[in-house]
Amino acid sequence: MNDPQSDAQLDSLFAQARARRADTSAIEYGFETRVMARLRNEKQPGSIWALVSWRMMPFFAACVLGLVVWRVDMASEVDDAAQTASADNPSALDSLGGLEL
Amino acid sequence: MAPAESTLPDKRLVADTLSGDDEAFAELTRRHKSRVFGVAARFARDASELDDICQDVFVQAYFKLRQFRGDSPFEHWLMRITTYKCYDYLRKRQRGGAAISTDAMLESGYEPVAPAPVEPHPALDRFHSALAELSPKERLVITLLELEDRTLQEISELTGWSVNNVKVRAFRARAALRKLMETTP
Repeated sequence: MNDPQSDAQLDSLFAQARARRADTSAIEYGFETRVMARLRNEKQPGSIWALVSWRMMPFFAACVLGLVVWRVDMASEVDDAAQTASADNPSALDSLGGLEL
Repeated sequence: MAPAESTLPDKRLVADTLSGDDEAFAELTRRHKSRVFGVAARFARDASELDDICQDVFVQAYFKLRQFRGDSPFEHWLMRITTYKCYDYLRKRQRGGAAISTDAMLESGYEPVAPAPVEPHPALDRFHSALAELSPKERLVITLLELEDRTLQEISELTGWSVNNVKVRAFRARAALRKLMETTP
């Protein structure tokens, strides 16, 4: 159950805080100039490219991941081929590796 | 081009902006900035943050201006963006955690957003400290309801929450604030 006294106290604090409206006139000075400058800045093509490249980040990340997977896959295939070749003809592999002088 | 201190209606200024007249948007900014500053000042920690919030509001309004349908006043639409921006800042602050030090505030040219009281008011200071401890949703709803004097219906329109949801959140926020006030020394 709410304490009526604390409720009344809270209401009184709300009323006092409501009455203390902030004086923002100093910060408001020249505000529209700052906003228009920022808009001009954000409308520049450079910033659009930056925005687009950030938005393309997941795509780039997926490409890099795909490349890594592909490389690992290729490497394991080459390893398999090398192992098969060495099992079939060890001397051929040695000559490829330049071990035979 | 819109003249300085234009008396053109907001809808006309919106149409002019959409057709490429940026001066029309500057006039819209001039016309509505005080209202936006007034609401944002209830949430901002310092002058710098207040300026950032308000700039974000108008920049977003500019880039989303085509979404303004004109079936309600421009100010209502702008207030909705302001509410969302303030809520975003509250959430960012909650994630960021750290409070700005007094030195940093003074270096940034900080002036208290609320006018300094003539006499110290410990109860009101305690109230503001407790208010800052609330969750972003609680702080948003209690500020709009009790400090900005908005109705439940208005808050529902500003936040996109149902009226019942606003009612429940306001009740919980008030209870949380009361509890915080009792425990804050």
